[in-house]
Amino acid sequence: MEKIRDLEKYISIIGSKETPASEAQRVIERATELFMDDSEMGVSSLGSDKIKYYKVREYFQRLMALNYDKVSISWFNIQYISDLELMPDGRWVGVITIYQRFEGTTKEGLKYKDTTKKDITVYVERKQTQIGGRTIGFWDVLLGDIRVAETKK
Amino acid sequence: MNRLFILIIFLVTGPFLRAQVIGDLLQDESVLYAETKQVNQFFHRFNSEEDGKGKKIYEGNPAYRDNHLRKQTLPLIFDKESTTLSKSIENKFIKEVTNKNTPKYLEFHGGDWFAEVVIDVTFDGNIKEAHLFLKLQEEEVGSKWVITRVYFEPFARLFFKDPSAVDKFLHPMSHELDFMNLAKVFREEGQVEYYAYDNFSPDFLSIFIYEMKIERLKFNGVKKVNFHFFQVDGYYFKLEEFNRAGFNNGWLITQLKEIDQESKNRLIGTIYYEGN
Repeated sequence: MEKIRDLEKYISIIGSKETPASEAQRVIERATELFMDDSEMGVSSLGSDKIKYYKVREYFQRLMALNYDKVSISWFNIQYISDLELMPDGRWVGVITIYQRFEGTTKEGLKYKDTTKKDITVYVERKQTQIGGRTIGFWDVLLGDIRVAETKK
Repeated sequence: MNRLFILIIFLVTGPFLRAQVIGDLLQDESVLYAETKQVNQFFHRFNSEEDGKGKKIYEGNPAYRDNHLRKQTLPLIFDKESTTLSKSIENKFIKEVTNKNTPKYLEFHGGDWFAEVVIDVTFDGNIKEAHLFLKLQEEEVGSKWVITRVYFEPFARLFFKDPSAVDKFLHPMSHELDFMNLAKVFREEGQVEYYAYDNFSPDFLSIFIYEMKIERLKFNGVKKVNFHFFQVDGYYFKLEEFNRAGFNNGWLITQLKEIDQESKNRLIGTIYYEGN
């Protein structure tokens, strides 16, 4: 859950119009590091049955460039954590579902609001490291593909 | 006059624009708790393996797989807006799966359920729908989803469309002429399948993969996913995802049928679009 909370924080910072561009770029780097290479966002909206696929870095860049004067992004205090399932490569996979509220206001005062459901893939791998000559086992967690769906109220 | 007109437009639309809001925010989290958010959660709710807030109930806890509790919660995982679900079959089903002597639970790795994924593809320059059927395959380590079949209407349209093709055969002495009559067969390429062995059935999955490999078929995106369950003896049910307002939302049972072995085979054939 720590990485999920980091992701929430990073999305909020990247989306915020108060974040300077250089800082947002730095946070995009941090946010991208949470993910496996090649992870994608599959985004669907209520008005269309088409899903748009973005690489996570591209998704964050688009979030940063959103054409609003003011943006507020927060997550609902609810998440659903699936069981972890073993994959043929020995790693474990699960899905965490969260809900995000987004509010954007344009210069003209036009407000856009939505609630999206995000299903986030989580990969868990048992790894080992040497500390002071001793082998220590630890669980490495990386995020993967995310399905983003606009929800009806 | 023009200035006055602009002023009127501004006065009329200005305040409106300032107040204009597109979309709405969900205010009440209770609907999110009610929603069956994942297929995984559907399994847990069906079996009574989690509480109302989605917190896992472990073995040893009296609520774990509690059939009294299941009687209350199972109706909530049915699509309440369905016009095809029979209430009497639903009640019978719930009564049977919660029977204290012979309860039935769903098992993620129990087999007898599969996914149908409707995808959007571009085939020969045209946008089309294809249906992929996937099952969970157990491996030496872990498991994975594998594609077992494909239904793609442009492929289906190509095969066995001439019911009067009784004269389509290579006569039994063809070998004496080095099968020179194959030339006639392949001149009528639209009916070649009639010259194949008895019970030949085209494998759309192989054709699908081939068409992708030669780049005539391109994947655009997933349109819809649903699941077909045959895990409860004597019943079939279909699971679909809803994205709508209210508490009856997420992954819900949309079809429930009582089946015997014969109707089960027929139903599976229908799901796979056999004969289409």
